[in-house]
Amino acid sequence: MMKRRTFLQLLGAGSATLAMRRPLFAATTDAPADEFFVFIHASGGWDVTLWADPRNERKGLVEPASTDNTDPAPLSHWKPTKLDGDTDTFEILSPANSGLRFGPGIGDLIDLHDRFTVVNGLAMNTVSHPDGTSFSCTGRHLAGGRSPAASIDVALTNELGTMQLLPDVSINFPSAYIGEHLDRRAIPLRVANAGVMAKSLARSDAYLRDDDRAAITALLSEEAHALAGHSVYPETFERLASQEQALPRLLGDQLKTVFTQKALQDAYPAFDYKAKNTGNGALGAAFAVEAMKRNLVRCMGFSLGGLDTHNQNYKQHAHTQQEIFGTIASLVKLLDATPHPNKHGVKLSEHTHILVFSDFCRTPQINLSGGRDHYPNNSALVISPRFVANKAFGKTDHEQVLPADASLDFSDGPRPISPPDLLATFLAAFAIEPRKYLRDGEVVKAMLRA
Amino acid sequence: MKAVLFSLLAACGTGAVGGGETTALPAHQTRMLDTTPKERRRMVPPEVYLRAYLAWFGGLVPLDVQNRARPKGLFDAWDDYLSALGLPDYKTDLPRQNQSNTLMLATLGRLGEALCVRAAEHDLHGGKTPLEQRVVFAFEMPAANAGPEAAFAERFDVLHRTFLGYPVKLAPGDRAERFHALYKDVAARHASVKGPLTADETGWVAVCTALIEHPEAELY
Repeated sequence: MMKRRTFLQLLGAGSATLAMRRPLFAATTDAPADEFFVFIHASGGWDVTLWADPRNERKGLVEPASTDNTDPAPLSHWKPTKLDGDTDTFEILSPANSGLRFGPGIGDLIDLHDRFTVVNGLAMNTVSHPDGTSFSCTGRHLAGGRSPAASIDVALTNELGTMQLLPDVSINFPSAYIGEHLDRRAIPLRVANAGVMAKSLARSDAYLRDDDRAAITALLSEEAHALAGHSVYPETFERLASQEQALPRLLGDQLKTVFTQKALQDAYPAFDYKAKNTGNGALGAAFAVEAMKRNLVRCMGFSLGGLDTHNQNYKQHAHTQQEIFGTIASLVKLLDATPHPNKHGVKLSEHTHILVFSDFCRTPQINLSGGRDHYPNNSALVISPRFVANKAFGKTDHEQVLPADASLDFSDGPRPISPPDLLATFLAAFAIEPRKYLRDGEVVKAMLRA
Repeated sequence: MKAVLFSLLAACGTGAVGGGETTALPAHQTRMLDTTPKERRRMVPPEVYLRAYLAWFGGLVPLDVQNRARPKGLFDAWDDYLSALGLPDYKTDLPRQNQSNTLMLATLGRLGEALCVRAAEHDLHGGKTPLEQRVVFAFEMPAANAGPEAAFAERFDVLHRTFLGYPVKLAPGDRAERFHALYKDVAARHASVKGPLTADETGWVAVCTALIEHPEAELY
């Protein structure tokens, strides 16, 4: 028979051991329910030599952006410098008091360089759009055309966002809900554009009214609970009941009106909704600000695209990048000007964490059609108060722009950073155990603020 | 020695063991084994669900549904809702969704409500449509001496068979009572309001909308 004292000693020792095993994930530094997440997919595959990993010399395979292959006229940060003969390339932008270096594609976002973290030389091991996209946001390559793991937005929603009215809104974003262990409320609300949300919620009051609809959803919720009581697998009905219960709040008057395309454009004129490639995404950004301001979402994902430039359209690639980063700059500035919904006197940007990624990058050489093809390297951008800012991690080699050893002391030896590492670090920043969602990847502690 | 042997034989001879009545050994406890296949319920694929919608409302083609559902802001165009309904949207390269979500329920609800309103206008309003031409509300008015509950149950059974495929008396729990309460609630709310449909008809629209969004209709 174990004495009470011995039992308590063993219990104490066991608890201490458990606590010591997970030092990184045991200490949540802030109430996670106050955090918001924005994931942006720069779709099509960006040319990293035009922004995060700038190249303006011919070296090895590298044919830099120049007046021969790029239209510099619309670029606000293109400072010409001689490449050879009549051809100009760009001058690399080096902000003061920063080790960061940028190409002209960064646009106005360069003004906020002291707030972001650049990750270069991401080892993609793929040049397929769907595979690269999936790898970037789930940490896994596609298996049989399907993603085998949940995406980062779903993981964070599952951990921190299931109580929100719109836990995970995914506007043309490659979200993946995979896994039996996930809460059904973390299923992303996937739509093609932000305006569809308002249309789906809109109802005519000519026949039934909101009171009637509330009575209908209450009845359906009761029915689902009753069916759950008779079912071998009650959880399906229970979760349907929870979705029904959320409907009356969704169908309330306020949401229908604030999320229409016109209402969003009127409320946030800072975004360029007429931009050729990013107009639709800009509406998503406006939706994100409004939804976070109202504390409705936990995660927002949207896409800003038009980067797949294999031929003469490469001439506009830098301009498209400028539009994309311009949208992100506007988003951050708006978050700076918007109060946090739960915290008095705190800006929304202090609790919003942004991750921007692309499918992969483009070849360092120019192809016969004047464009750049797919290349298994990548860069990513993080704007988060939890990350070490004004710094670049990872690198590429000088002649081929391929991922090189990141000098980060990985447990499996010298190697470049890969998307699973970045995703694991992102989860760890919020005291979430990465292994719950990621098969691969190692937390890069150097990226995280102490 | 002989004496001992004799006494043993004598002992065996008395009360010899004879054949008695046999009784069956007690049986093992038997337990019924339910070998029917069991699976978690799943969302009906959106195409199947939409096909069912079209069939329920008179075998319409999608464009006809769109045209019929649009007036008075009840619906817009299919293109607006592809992704919200869970269908693949090839224009934006958005794949099929494999999980239901609240927005999908809201969108299906919007379409279901629109179709129920149109069906009520066609079948019930004005009472001129012959029974055989009615598409959803295919029931006779109840007998004059039927009580309100019985009258509702009789007509509700018609809708229940249409949307859920079996008689309401086989449904679990007190489903008929719940729907009757909904019907009375909505009808009472619209009794003093002048609208395009009568209060009674609006009550039936609510019942129809609830049935079309019922968990048993959305899962299989």
